[in-house]
Amino acid sequence: MSETVIEAEGLRKEFRTRRGRHIVAVQDLDLAVPAGGVHGFLGPNGSGKTTTIRMLLGLARASKGEMRLFGKPVPRHLPEVMNRVGAVVEQPKFVPTFSGRKNLSLLARSVGVPSVGVDAALDRVGLTGRDRERYKGYSLGMKQRLAIAATLLKDPDLLILDEPTNGLDPAGIRDIRDMIRHLGESGVTVLLSSHILAEVQQVCDSVSIIGNGRLLAAGKVDDLVGAHGAATMRVGVADPAAAADHLQANGYAVTRENGHLLVDGPGRADQITRLLAAKELYVHELTPVRADLESVFLQLTKDATISAGAE
Amino acid sequence: MRLVLVELTRFRSRRAIALMLLAAVLLATLFAFTTIWDTRPVNAADVARAEAQVERDMSSRWFKQELASCEENPENYSGPGATAEDCAESMTPRPEWYLERRQLVLDDVRNEAGIGLVVLLAGIMVIIGTTFAGADWASGSMSNQLLFEPRRAKVWLAKAAAVFVGATVASAVILTAFWAAMFVAAEVRGITTGASVQEAIRAEAFRGVLLAGVGALGAYALTMLLRHTVGTVAVFFAYAIAGTAVIAALPISGVGRWSVGNNVTAWLQDGYEFYDETIACRRGGGACDQMVKVTLEQGATYLGVTLAVVAVASLLLFRRRDIP
Repeated sequence: MSETVIEAEGLRKEFRTRRGRHIVAVQDLDLAVPAGGVHGFLGPNGSGKTTTIRMLLGLARASKGEMRLFGKPVPRHLPEVMNRVGAVVEQPKFVPTFSGRKNLSLLARSVGVPSVGVDAALDRVGLTGRDRERYKGYSLGMKQRLAIAATLLKDPDLLILDEPTNGLDPAGIRDIRDMIRHLGESGVTVLLSSHILAEVQQVCDSVSIIGNGRLLAAGKVDDLVGAHGAATMRVGVADPAAAADHLQANGYAVTRENGHLLVDGPGRADQITRLLAAKELYVHELTPVRADLESVFLQLTKDATISAGAE
Repeated sequence: MRLVLVELTRFRSRRAIALMLLAAVLLATLFAFTTIWDTRPVNAADVARAEAQVERDMSSRWFKQELASCEENPENYSGPGATAEDCAESMTPRPEWYLERRQLVLDDVRNEAGIGLVVLLAGIMVIIGTTFAGADWASGSMSNQLLFEPRRAKVWLAKAAAVFVGATVASAVILTAFWAAMFVAAEVRGITTGASVQEAIRAEAFRGVLLAGVGALGAYALTMLLRHTVGTVAVFFAYAIAGTAVIAALPISGVGRWSVGNNVTAWLQDGYEFYDETIACRRGGGACDQMVKVTLEQGATYLGVTLAVVAVASLLLFRRRDIP
C-alpha cells in the first residue's frame, strides 16, 4: 500500500468578514493525496482550494478537522515536515526591492541551504542572468518562475503549487508543465491546484474535485473520466429517426446530434448493434463517447451548486 | 541564531532602512557641526569684524542723534541723577557686544543638543522598526518566510532581535561619533571636562542607545500587531503626543507622571521634576507650585511595562492569526 502524503479529514474553515458576514470556506473536506505522481486539485473559484492549501501549510488555522502531512499531524508537527515541502500559494510573494537572488538567498539561508542550491534553483527555472535584477521589475512570468525556484530550494518530497502557470507565456507554461511531470515521475509528490482543466488532464495522474468547500470526487483521472462517459455511444445509421424510436422502446436514452445518435444506457455496443440489425437498421458508425475532464468537472460542480442551493 | 543572522541581513539590505540610517547620521553631523560652530573661540578676524561694526554704528546718523538727545536729557534715558557722560558710557557701542559667544561646555551640550539628538534618533529608530515589519506584511513575503520556518514565535523573536540589535548598534555608533566629535573639539580648545560630567555623558548616551533600541522594538511589535506601517506610526505618535495632551487635561493631581514624554525624559536625564499642570491644579487658583518627580526607575518601569504589553500581545496574536 502506498503512503498517503496529504490527508485531511472533516476539515472546516469558518471566518467572519470585516462586515460581520459569516463565511464557511471549507466544510468537512476529506482529502487524500498518495505519494508520488502529480495530483490535481480542482474546483471553481471560491471553492476553498487555496484555503485548504493554506491550512495544510499552517498559514491559516482550521476551525475543525484533522490534517496530516507525511503522516504527521499538522500544524502541530509542521516544523518536522516543512523541510520536505515546497509550496507556492496564490501569487508569488517576495520583497520587491530585493533582487531575485537576494530573495532566494535569504530563504535558503533560513533553512541552511548553501548558495549553490540557489544557483541550481535559479538555473532550473531559467532565471540565471536575470537573478540580480530587482524583483519588482520582473514580469509576472519571471515572478512565477522565482516562486517555483524557491520551492525547489529545499529539494522537496512534496510540492504544492497553486496556479503555477499563471502569467506565463506558452513556452513558459510548457516548461513548467514538463518540469511538474518530470518531478512527479522522479518520485516527488506534486499537488497541483489549477483552474485550467486541460492542464490537469495533461499533467495529473489523479485528481480531487471540490465545490463549495466539499470534496465532490477523487481518483485517477482516467477512472473519473471513464466513470462519467463510458456509457454513452455515438451511433451512425441511415435512418436515425427509426433507430431512435426502436432504441428508446428498448430502454435507452437517445439524443440526436448532427445526424448521429447519442445513446445512453446500460447495454454494450454489441447489444445496440444486435437490436438495430434486427430491424434492418445497419450501423455504419459506433464509437464510445469519452467525456473529458472538463465535462466531468462541470457536471460535478453544477450538481454541487444545485445541492448547496437546495440546502 | 541562523534566523537572527538572516533577519539582520534583511535589516541591512532594506533600502528604506539604509536611507533612515543615513538621515540619522546627517542629523547627528548637523547637531555636532552647529554645536561646534556656535561655540567656536573668538579669533582676530571676529575682533576685526566687531571693531568695524562698532565704527559703522558710531558713524551712523541714528547713533549720533540718539547720543545728542541723551546728552540733552540724560535722566530720560538713564534715570534720575544721570549725566551726559553716562550717555556716552552706556550708548557707545563696544566690540565685545558683537563678540558674545558661548563656550563649549559638554555638560550643557548633554542637556541640550545631546538630549535633542537622542530623541530624534529614537524617532528615526521607531520608523525603522515599523518599516522593517511593515514591508513583510505589505509585500506578502511573511507567508513565504513561514513556508520555510513555520515556528512563528521563532520568526517573531528573530526579527525582534534583528531590529533591536540593528537599531541599538546604529544608535551606539552615531552617538559615540557625536560625543567623540564633542570631546575632540573640547580637547582642541583646551577645555577640560570633569570626571563626573564625563560619567553623566556616558550614562546618558547609554540610556539614549537603549531608548532607541526599545523604540525600534516597540514599533516593530506594534507593526506585527497592526500589520500596517502608516497605521503603526500614527498610533505611536498619537500615543506619544495626543496621549500626553489628554493626560495633561485629566483632573487628577500629579497625572503627568503617566505621560510618555515625562517618563522618557526621566529615563534619559536620570529623573525628571516638573510642575503639576493638571486642570485640578489650575482650578485651585494661580500658578501650580507643586512639583512632581518621576525617577529613573519609574521611567524605566513605565517604558518597560509598555513595551512588554505590546510585545506579548503582538507575539500571541502573530502565533494564532491567519497570514495573508
